[in-house]
Amino acid sequence: MKSVFMTVWLKEMTDALRDKRSLMAAMSYALFGPIMMAVAFMMVIKDAVSERDVYVHIDGAQYAPALVDFLGDRRIFAGDEENTAREIYLEIPENYEENIASAKPIYITVRSDYSERSDGSHRSRLESALREYNNTIASHRLTLRGISADVISPIRIDKQDTATKEARAAMILGTVMVFVLMAIFFSGMNVAIDGSAGERERNSLEFLLAQPVATHWLVMAKAAAAGTFALFGGVLSILLIPLVFVFVPLEKLGIDFGMSWLDQAGMILVLIPLAAFASILQLFVSFRAKSFKEAQTYISLVMFIPVAVIFAVEFTRFEHPALAMLPVTSQHQVLLATIGGQDINWLMVLGGAGVTLAVTAVLVAVVTKMLRSEKVVFGL
Amino acid sequence: MIVTSGLEKAYKDVKALKGLSFQANDGEITGLLGPNGAGKTTCLRSIYGLIHPDVGSAQVDNIDASKAPIAVRKRIGIFPDKFGLQERLSAREHIAYFAGLHGLHGEERKVAVQRVIDDLDMNDIADRRTGGFSQGQRMKVALGQAIVHQPQNLILDEPSRGLDVMSTRILRELLFRLKAQGRCILFSSHVMQEVAALCDRVVIMVAGQVVAEGSPAELCARTGQESFEEAFVQLIGTEEGIML
Repeated sequence: MKSVFMTVWLKEMTDALRDKRSLMAAMSYALFGPIMMAVAFMMVIKDAVSERDVYVHIDGAQYAPALVDFLGDRRIFAGDEENTAREIYLEIPENYEENIASAKPIYITVRSDYSERSDGSHRSRLESALREYNNTIASHRLTLRGISADVISPIRIDKQDTATKEARAAMILGTVMVFVLMAIFFSGMNVAIDGSAGERERNSLEFLLAQPVATHWLVMAKAAAAGTFALFGGVLSILLIPLVFVFVPLEKLGIDFGMSWLDQAGMILVLIPLAAFASILQLFVSFRAKSFKEAQTYISLVMFIPVAVIFAVEFTRFEHPALAMLPVTSQHQVLLATIGGQDINWLMVLGGAGVTLAVTAVLVAVVTKMLRSEKVVFGL
Repeated sequence: MIVTSGLEKAYKDVKALKGLSFQANDGEITGLLGPNGAGKTTCLRSIYGLIHPDVGSAQVDNIDASKAPIAVRKRIGIFPDKFGLQERLSAREHIAYFAGLHGLHGEERKVAVQRVIDDLDMNDIADRRTGGFSQGQRMKVALGQAIVHQPQNLILDEPSRGLDVMSTRILRELLFRLKAQGRCILFSSHVMQEVAALCDRVVIMVAGQVVAEGSPAELCARTGQESFEEAFVQLIGTEEGIML
């Protein structure tokens, strides 16, 4: 009976590989996720890390040349024709020098539209530079009066980050893993629909079922063909992630990102049962549909569930021991643990894979039963 | 040999088959003739083992179709009523696929497929994708799929629908050749001329039952009509569903 499985699988694969639509779908989901995330990260990093020059309006610069120099060291400059100043106004009063000399408070104004978010980081840079200058002058004055500057800063905070670089990477790259799982669910979709609702639409389903082939082999071969595409999508995105993220300067965020060949192989192994599960789920749904279009509608509704689950778990950081055992969530956890550089509990991984395969087997039985039912096949 | 005895099948409130019994012998072409809705398709589906009759049985070479559907399907070739081809596969790939489903592999399969392609005179289209095929070319592919495993029994459901003269001739010659080899051929139709020209025996069914059985000439003699068509009308008692 194994040869029948191969016959059906090979035929479905040949057909799907010649179908540009299936191929494009499989490729695009796999490419889309990692590339989109990489671009998003690049934007974030560029914004967060780069110390760009800030140009503001400085009124009364002539009264406080030392302060202006200090700001210049912090890359804050007065705007000119070449570099237009932002709508941030720094006003230095006329009596600046006089008040400095007599140790009286000086009122410096920072005027800006504080509801304008795009200027926010520039404003805070200006303000923190001013605060820093304030502290510098204060400590100079104390030192001149024979008092240690330490008395005005009794508490010093020493930040010690215990997050491993991998853990920090996991937090960010968890989002990328969501796309790997989605690639699994979307890459095989067209193949699954074509092998089920498509057969019905072509009027070839009845004829196929009238062949001397045990129905469960037929179901398994069709699921395997769709699953091959699903896995292909998943593998493609896993292989692509390190390649794409080479171009993202993650180290600037203090993130050390690396995926060894071994990590990748492990992830791919974990995705195999998920690909089988996704495909049989799609067959289950689309064998009930009368046409390709109808199947697409049903499937997109059903595919919303795993995607919603992944996003919910990913963004709420919900934790429960059962998650390590359920299809979709168990694979998600393994992927996260792998890129987080955490030790992987292989017993749990096997458990998750076992449960996923068991659910898959149950669905194979259900679909087989469906195809033996006169009601489902002939729509009676 | 195909035998049905006392087939009964009901769908919800409609009784499609009401004790259908007939026999199609080896070395003969048997026509299953009846108006639309007579239960022809339901009858054939019972023979394939795709639906289970409520009462009675369908047997192919003395094997019960609902008890051992796979053994039965190995012994029949089916030319279905509607056949969808996968437009991205070539004619040869289609035929090879069904040969594979029938358990043929490797060199054996290659030889079987090539023989069918020669028999149906389709070498010119064998390696083209079926996407742009004409109705006649599609029919050849479907016929090839049906006979690639050299079944003892061939079942054709409305085979000549939409075929041009040349395709009909090819079909007819093939059926005569298979008959000469001693195979059992059963075909359902509602086209008079086709049945009269091809069949050794005709089974006329109306509303899920057999109303008459015999050669076209016998049926004419029994009803006292000159043409087979008149005989048929008299036998089924209505003009409904006859296509000329």
